[in-house]
Amino acid sequence: MEVENEEQTFSEDIINLVIARLDTIPSNVELSVGNEGSFSIDDLIERVKKQDEIGKKMIEMQLAYLRSLGKLPTQELQNAASAN
Amino acid sequence: MLLLLTRPRYDTPTHYLFYWAGLLIDEAKSKGVKVIDLDKNKATQKKLHSYLAKQPIDIVILNGHGNREAVAGQDNDIILSVGNGTDLLKNRTIFVRACDAGVILGKEIMTKGAKGFIGYIQPFMFPIDKDSFNKPLEDQLAAPVLDCSNQVGLSLIKGKSAEEANKDSLNKYTETIDQYSSSQATNSFLLPILLWNMTSQVCYQ
Repeated sequence: MEVENEEQTFSEDIINLVIARLDTIPSNVELSVGNEGSFSIDDLIERVKKQDEIGKKMIEMQLAYLRSLGKLPTQELQNAASAN
Repeated sequence: MLLLLTRPRYDTPTHYLFYWAGLLIDEAKSKGVKVIDLDKNKATQKKLHSYLAKQPIDIVILNGHGNREAVAGQDNDIILSVGNGTDLLKNRTIFVRACDAGVILGKEIMTKGAKGFIGYIQPFMFPIDKDSFNKPLEDQLAAPVLDCSNQVGLSLIKGKSAEEANKDSLNKYTETIDQYSSSQATNSFLLPILLWNMTSQVCYQ
Protein backbone atom coordinates (compact mmCIF):
# COMPACT_ATOMS: atom_id res chain seq x y z
CA MET A 1 0.00 0.00 0.00
CA GLU A 2 2.82 2.41 0.84
CA VAL A 3 4.61 1.70 -2.41
CA GLU A 4 1.48 2.50 -4.36
CA ASN A 5 1.11 5.71 -2.35
CA GLU A 6 4.69 6.76 -3.01
CA GLU A 7 4.24 6.40 -6.74
CA GLN A 8 0.93 8.20 -6.91
CA THR A 9 0.77 11.93 -7.53
CA PHE A 10 -2.33 14.06 -7.31
CA SER A 11 -3.63 16.76 -9.62
CA GLU A 12 -3.51 20.45 -8.74
CA ASP A 13 -7.30 20.49 -8.31
CA ILE A 14 -7.12 17.80 -5.68
CA ILE A 15 -4.24 19.54 -3.91
CA ASN A 16 -6.17 22.81 -3.83
CA LEU A 17 -9.28 21.04 -2.56
CA VAL A 18 -7.38 19.43 0.30
CA ILE A 19 -5.59 22.67 1.19
CA ALA A 20 -8.93 24.50 1.25
CA ARG A 21 -10.28 21.92 3.67
CA LEU A 22 -7.20 22.06 5.90
CA ASP A 23 -7.43 25.85 5.89
CA THR A 24 -10.75 25.64 7.75
CA ILE A 25 -9.11 23.95 10.77
CA PRO A 26 -8.46 26.34 13.68
CA SER A 27 -4.84 27.37 14.20
CA ASN A 28 -4.73 25.97 17.75
CA VAL A 29 -5.00 22.46 16.32
CA GLU A 30 -2.10 20.09 15.67
CA LEU A 31 -2.38 16.64 14.20
CA SER A 32 -0.46 13.74 15.67
CA VAL A 33 0.55 11.44 12.84
CA GLY A 34 2.04 8.32 14.41
CA ASN A 35 5.79 8.02 14.25
CA GLU A 36 6.11 11.20 12.26
CA GLY A 37 5.21 13.49 15.16
CA SER A 38 2.76 16.35 15.46
CA PHE A 39 2.11 18.91 12.77
CA SER A 40 0.55 22.34 12.71
CA ILE A 41 -2.01 23.02 10.01
CA ASP A 42 0.50 25.21 8.16
CA ASP A 43 2.99 22.32 8.25
CA LEU A 44 0.38 19.95 6.86
CA ILE A 45 -0.49 22.33 4.05
CA GLU A 46 3.17 22.56 3.09
CA ARG A 47 3.41 18.75 3.14
CA VAL A 48 0.35 18.49 0.91
CA LYS A 49 1.89 20.96 -1.55
CA LYS A 50 5.09 18.89 -1.60
CA GLN A 51 3.12 15.64 -1.80
CA ASP A 52 5.51 13.96 0.56
CA GLU A 53 4.46 10.91 2.57
CA ILE A 54 2.60 12.92 5.23
CA GLY A 55 1.04 15.15 2.60
CA LYS A 56 -0.25 12.14 0.70
CA LYS A 57 -1.75 10.68 3.87
CA MET A 58 -3.62 13.97 4.37
CA ILE A 59 -4.86 13.82 0.80
CA GLU A 60 -5.94 10.19 1.18
CA MET A 61 -7.72 11.00 4.42
CA GLN A 62 -9.66 13.94 3.01
CA LEU A 63 -10.56 12.13 -0.20
CA ALA A 64 -11.73 9.08 1.71
CA TYR A 65 -14.03 11.32 3.73
CA LEU A 66 -15.40 13.10 0.67
CA ARG A 67 -15.99 9.78 -1.06
CA SER A 68 -17.87 8.57 2.01
CA LEU A 69 -20.20 11.53 1.69
CA GLY A 70 -20.82 10.82 -1.95
CA LYS A 71 -20.20 14.49 -2.63
CA LEU A 72 -17.73 13.67 -5.33
CA PRO A 73 -17.98 10.67 -7.64
CA THR A 74 -15.29 8.14 -6.76
CA GLN A 75 -14.32 7.63 -10.39
CA GLU A 76 -13.77 11.33 -10.86
CA LEU A 77 -11.45 11.43 -7.88
CA GLN A 78 -9.57 8.39 -9.11
CA ASN A 79 -9.11 10.00 -12.50
CA ALA A 80 -7.89 13.17 -10.83
CA ALA A 81 -5.03 11.26 -9.24
CA SER A 82 -2.81 11.58 -12.26
CA ALA A 83 0.53 9.95 -12.89
CA ASN A 84 2.29 13.17 -13.84
CA MET B 1 -8.31 -11.50 34.73
CA LEU B 2 -4.83 -10.02 34.34
CA LEU B 3 -4.15 -7.04 32.08
CA LEU B 4 -0.73 -5.82 30.92
CA LEU B 5 -0.28 -2.40 29.36
CA THR B 6 2.70 -0.55 28.00
CA ARG B 7 2.48 3.22 27.97
CA PRO B 8 5.74 4.94 27.13
CA ARG B 9 5.86 8.71 27.38
CA TYR B 10 8.53 10.70 25.56
CA ASP B 11 6.87 12.78 22.84
CA THR B 12 3.50 14.36 22.12
CA PRO B 13 1.66 11.28 20.82
CA THR B 14 2.92 9.03 23.64
CA HIS B 15 2.22 11.81 26.18
CA TYR B 16 -1.44 11.68 25.13
CA LEU B 17 -1.66 7.90 24.90
CA PHE B 18 -0.02 7.62 28.33
CA TYR B 19 -2.91 9.50 29.93
CA TRP B 20 -5.67 7.93 27.86
CA ALA B 21 -4.36 4.44 28.60
CA GLY B 22 -4.39 5.50 32.24
CA LEU B 23 -8.19 5.62 32.01
CA LEU B 24 -8.13 1.94 31.04
CA ILE B 25 -6.08 1.17 34.14
CA ASP B 26 -8.61 3.02 36.31
CA GLU B 27 -11.47 1.11 34.72
CA ALA B 28 -9.71 -2.24 35.09
CA LYS B 29 -8.95 -1.65 38.76
CA SER B 30 -12.54 -0.57 39.42
CA LYS B 31 -13.68 -3.92 38.01
CA GLY B 32 -11.22 -5.93 40.07
CA VAL B 33 -8.95 -6.67 37.12
CA LYS B 34 -5.30 -6.96 38.10
CA VAL B 35 -3.02 -4.64 36.13
CA ILE B 36 0.66 -4.75 35.17
CA ASP B 37 1.49 -1.18 34.15
CA LEU B 38 4.72 -0.92 32.16
CA ASP B 39 4.83 2.86 32.05
CA LYS B 40 7.59 5.17 30.85
CA ASN B 41 11.02 3.56 31.42
CA LYS B 42 9.38 0.25 32.30
CA ALA B 43 8.08 -0.07 28.74
CA THR B 44 11.03 -2.16 27.57
CA GLN B 45 11.36 -5.36 25.57
CA LYS B 46 13.04 -7.13 28.48
CA LYS B 47 10.25 -6.38 30.93
CA LEU B 48 7.46 -7.06 28.45
CA HIS B 49 8.86 -10.43 27.40
CA SER B 50 9.63 -11.40 30.97
CA TYR B 51 6.08 -10.68 32.18
CA LEU B 52 4.56 -12.43 29.18
CA ALA B 53 6.72 -15.50 29.80
CA LYS B 54 6.01 -15.73 33.53
CA GLN B 55 2.56 -14.29 34.25
CA PRO B 56 -0.90 -15.63 33.29
CA ILE B 57 -1.78 -12.48 31.39
CA ASP B 58 -5.11 -12.48 29.53
CA ILE B 59 -5.10 -9.09 27.80
CA VAL B 60 -2.18 -7.09 26.42
CA ILE B 61 -2.57 -3.46 25.38
CA LEU B 62 0.47 -1.83 23.78
CA ASN B 63 0.46 1.95 23.33
CA GLY B 64 3.21 3.67 21.40
CA HIS B 65 4.75 4.04 18.00
CA GLY B 66 4.79 1.25 15.51
CA ASN B 67 5.22 0.14 11.96
CA ARG B 68 4.10 -2.83 9.90
CA GLU B 69 6.45 -5.23 11.67
CA ALA B 70 7.08 -3.83 15.14
CA VAL B 71 5.87 -1.86 18.14
CA ALA B 72 8.05 0.41 20.25
CA GLY B 73 8.21 1.20 23.94
CA GLN B 74 10.02 3.99 25.77
CA ASP B 75 12.29 6.13 23.58
CA ASN B 76 11.11 4.33 20.47
CA ASP B 77 12.99 1.12 21.36
CA ILE B 78 11.36 -1.93 19.78
CA ILE B 79 9.60 -4.15 22.33
CA LEU B 80 7.76 -6.57 20.02
CA SER B 81 8.43 -7.41 16.41
CA VAL B 82 8.04 -10.09 13.80
CA GLY B 83 10.01 -13.10 15.00
CA ASN B 84 10.74 -11.55 18.38
CA GLY B 85 8.18 -12.13 21.11
CA THR B 86 5.08 -12.85 19.06
CA ASP B 87 5.02 -16.45 20.32
CA LEU B 88 4.64 -15.09 23.87
CA LEU B 89 1.15 -13.90 22.98
CA LYS B 90 -0.26 -17.40 22.49
CA ASN B 91 -3.79 -17.71 23.95
CA ARG B 92 -3.85 -13.99 24.73
CA THR B 93 -5.84 -11.11 23.32
CA ILE B 94 -3.82 -8.09 22.21
CA PHE B 95 -4.69 -4.53 21.26
CA VAL B 96 -1.85 -2.59 19.63
CA ARG B 97 -2.57 1.13 19.59
CA ALA B 98 0.23 2.04 17.21
CA CYS B 99 0.57 2.78 13.53
CA ASP B 100 0.44 0.09 10.86
CA ALA B 101 1.05 -2.94 13.13
CA GLY B 102 -2.04 -4.68 11.78
CA VAL B 103 -0.40 -5.10 8.39
CA ILE B 104 2.22 -7.76 9.20
CA LEU B 105 2.86 -7.97 12.96
CA GLY B 106 -0.79 -8.61 13.84
CA LYS B 107 -1.05 -11.44 11.34
CA GLU B 108 2.08 -13.09 12.71
CA ILE B 109 0.77 -12.75 16.27
CA MET B 110 -2.32 -14.67 15.18
CA THR B 111 -0.32 -17.39 13.44
CA LYS B 112 1.54 -17.87 16.74
CA GLY B 113 -1.72 -18.70 18.48
CA ALA B 114 -3.08 -15.48 19.95
CA LYS B 115 -6.81 -15.44 20.76
CA GLY B 116 -7.35 -12.16 18.99
CA PHE B 117 -5.62 -9.05 17.67
CA ILE B 118 -6.86 -5.51 17.18
CA GLY B 119 -4.69 -2.85 15.58
CA TYR B 120 -4.34 -0.44 12.69
CA ILE B 121 -3.22 -0.82 9.09
CA GLN B 122 -2.48 2.89 8.61
CA PRO B 123 -0.97 5.62 10.79
CA PHE B 124 -3.12 6.24 13.88
CA MET B 125 -3.89 9.96 13.90
CA PHE B 126 -5.50 12.27 16.39
CA PRO B 127 -5.91 16.03 16.73
CA ILE B 128 -4.45 17.98 19.60
CA ASP B 129 -5.56 21.31 21.00
CA LYS B 130 -2.23 23.00 21.69
CA ASP B 131 -3.81 24.83 24.61
CA SER B 132 -4.62 21.48 26.28
CA PHE B 133 -1.19 19.91 26.00
CA ASN B 134 -0.69 19.86 29.76
CA LYS B 135 -4.13 18.35 30.36
CA PRO B 136 -4.57 15.69 27.68
CA LEU B 137 -7.70 14.22 29.27
CA GLU B 138 -9.37 17.63 28.99
CA ASP B 139 -8.50 18.02 25.31
CA GLN B 140 -11.91 18.25 23.65
CA LEU B 141 -10.42 17.72 20.19
CA ALA B 142 -8.44 14.59 20.99
CA ALA B 143 -11.23 13.10 23.09
CA PRO B 144 -13.61 12.02 20.31
CA VAL B 145 -10.88 9.98 18.59
CA LEU B 146 -9.22 8.58 21.70
CA ASP B 147 -12.57 7.71 23.29
CA CYS B 148 -13.43 5.55 20.28
CA SER B 149 -10.04 3.90 20.41
CA ASN B 150 -10.23 3.41 24.19
CA GLN B 151 -13.50 1.54 23.70
CA VAL B 152 -11.48 -1.45 22.50
CA GLY B 153 -9.71 -1.64 25.84
CA LEU B 154 -12.86 -0.96 27.86
CA SER B 155 -14.69 -3.82 26.16
CA LEU B 156 -11.77 -6.22 26.57
CA ILE B 157 -11.65 -5.36 30.27
CA LYS B 158 -15.33 -6.30 30.46
CA GLY B 159 -14.37 -9.75 29.23
CA LYS B 160 -15.49 -9.35 25.64
CA SER B 161 -13.68 -11.07 22.77
CA ALA B 162 -11.47 -9.18 20.33
CA GLU B 163 -14.23 -9.29 17.73
CA GLU B 164 -16.82 -7.93 20.17
CA ALA B 165 -14.44 -5.22 21.42
CA ASN B 166 -13.67 -4.19 17.87
CA LYS B 167 -17.39 -4.02 17.06
CA ASP B 168 -18.06 -1.89 20.15
CA SER B 169 -15.29 0.48 19.11
CA LEU B 170 -16.55 0.74 15.53
CA ASN B 171 -20.05 1.42 16.84
CA LYS B 172 -18.66 4.23 18.96
CA TYR B 173 -16.90 5.68 15.91
CA THR B 174 -20.19 5.56 14.01
CA GLU B 175 -22.06 7.31 16.84
CA THR B 176 -19.35 9.95 17.11
CA ILE B 177 -19.29 10.54 13.36
CA ASP B 178 -23.08 10.96 13.41
CA GLN B 179 -22.76 13.40 16.28
CA TYR B 180 -20.17 15.55 14.47
CA SER B 181 -22.12 15.33 11.20
CA SER B 182 -25.11 17.14 12.63
CA SER B 183 -25.78 20.58 11.23
CA GLN B 184 -25.31 22.12 14.67
CA ALA B 185 -21.99 20.40 15.35
CA THR B 186 -18.80 22.41 15.54
CA ASN B 187 -15.36 20.98 14.79
CA SER B 188 -16.56 19.03 11.77
CA PHE B 189 -12.90 18.89 10.70
CA LEU B 190 -12.71 15.91 13.07
CA LEU B 191 -14.83 13.81 10.72
CA PRO B 192 -12.10 12.78 8.24
CA ILE B 193 -9.81 11.86 11.15
CA LEU B 194 -12.50 9.75 12.82
CA LEU B 195 -13.29 8.00 9.56
CA TRP B 196 -9.59 7.41 8.87
CA ASN B 197 -8.95 5.67 12.19
CA MET B 198 -12.22 3.77 12.01
CA THR B 199 -11.45 2.31 8.61
CA SER B 200 -7.82 1.63 9.55
CA GLN B 201 -8.77 -0.47 12.58
CA VAL B 202 -8.59 -4.23 12.01
CA CYS B 203 -9.45 -7.26 14.07
CA TYR B 204 -8.16 -10.78 13.58
CA GLN B 205 -9.69 -13.60 15.55
